[in-house]
Amino acid sequence: MSRHLWREVRRQLVESGAAGLVAILLVAVATTWGGVLWSLHRYLEAELLAPHRPATIVAVARTPEAAEKVRGALLAAFPTASGEVAAARTVREELVQWFPELSTVLLGLDEASFPTLLQLDVPVLQQAAVAQWLTARTEITLVANSHDWEARVQAAATRIAAVGFALAFALLIGCCVVVLLVVRLLVLAHADEIAIMRLIGAHERDIRLPYLLCGFCLGALGGTLGAISLFGLSLLVASTAPALRLAPGVLPVLPCTGGVAGLLGAALGLAALPSEP
Amino acid sequence: MILLEDIIKSYRGRPAVRGITATVEKGEFVFLTGPSGAGKSTFLRLLYRAELPDGGRIVVNGHDLVAMRRREVAEFRRRLGVVFQDFKLLRRRSVGENVTFVLSLLRVSEKEQQRRAYLALKQMGLQHRMQAYPEELSGGEQQRVAIARALVLQPDLVLADEPTGNLDPERAHELMELFRTIHYQGTTVVVATHDRALIEAHPARTLVLEKGKLVRDGWGITQ
Repeated sequence: MSRHLWREVRRQLVESGAAGLVAILLVAVATTWGGVLWSLHRYLEAELLAPHRPATIVAVARTPEAAEKVRGALLAAFPTASGEVAAARTVREELVQWFPELSTVLLGLDEASFPTLLQLDVPVLQQAAVAQWLTARTEITLVANSHDWEARVQAAATRIAAVGFALAFALLIGCCVVVLLVVRLLVLAHADEIAIMRLIGAHERDIRLPYLLCGFCLGALGGTLGAISLFGLSLLVASTAPALRLAPGVLPVLPCTGGVAGLLGAALGLAALPSEP
Repeated sequence: MILLEDIIKSYRGRPAVRGITATVEKGEFVFLTGPSGAGKSTFLRLLYRAELPDGGRIVVNGHDLVAMRRREVAEFRRRLGVVFQDFKLLRRRSVGENVTFVLSLLRVSEKEQQRRAYLALKQMGLQHRMQAYPEELSGGEQQRVAIARALVLQPDLVLADEPTGNLDPERAHELMELFRTIHYQGTTVVVATHDRALIEAHPARTLVLEKGKLVRDGWGITQ
């Protein structure tokens, strides 16, 4: 059966023509999109929002002396914490480095206009207690905790990922529908041939298998194209953001996902096949 | 070999076969004849289970076709050789592939498929056209390919539905000689035809149908 089977699958792939090409491209887009999302999600989870990462707390002190005093007391109360005091001058210089276009304005301002900051790195599990401790001190006027913005980033990332994955899923459903239509068209075009095959003793599995494999191949080809595109994208991004890497195992998953989507579409398309009396 | 008991079949209330009872023994050569619309094709379609009767019992090669399960139909048909008036060749496959296809269903090795297809086509004088596609062949050649396909599995029973319908008289007689040869080799052959001249030239047991009824069962057309 194998030679007949693969020859038939090849014929069907060729006959699927433009519709087959659309299916392949759609799967490629869906899988590339899914791969990008997956990699970004993994990057955020593993690098930016890692639970073992120390939290950063920034506190504004009334005076440099007050900052030094609070720092000493804090390190005594929380030995695992570490930190330093940034004087107003240092803060101004850092701001000038970050925003060089504002350097004229920043350097023209009085040094007293800039706060004295206490920058602390603390274990995540202690960050709430340290923040509370700092807030209770009269020498401190403002406390900002990296956990707050990280939580906001995480919430936003979760929402974006949910929408993105929903879109990727919708695209995959679209792929299934396109493969379904391709297979249905092929089945309709080959209706006479299928009837003949039955009359000369072909089993349903002998008749259906080439169509299922055709759907699988369309999906897997699209998925492979998606994996190649994703790999190309990762090479492009690597030069500008080396930390952004492909999620492990994402490349082989894409052709498989495409193949499964194609197989599902083909199976649904074959539902149109009339059965024996 | 074939047993029909009180077979009834109608299409949308219009009777096509009415109460036919007949038997065909192993090794017989039988003509099935009658005017157009007499029910010959329906009779044959019932024999290879392309249709199910509305009533009655059909046993072919020991299989009760009414009680047969769907998944058993393919296996049953592989024991038959069916030849159609319109050849029913697979258009997108070469002559060789048309013949080897039925062998591939039985998971016969590639080499054996080629060998048996070559022999079957050689018997039909078409071994040199294995790579050709059906549309490149004449009607007579296509019919011989269809016969090669029907015979390549060495079936116990050959059913032919108007096999000479698309052939000129000379080719038709050649084809009948071929069926005779197959018959002499021990195969049961049932040929449906409305061509009285063909039956006169190759006399054999003849079942005559009219308006879905079996009106005569005897030797030749003139008796």
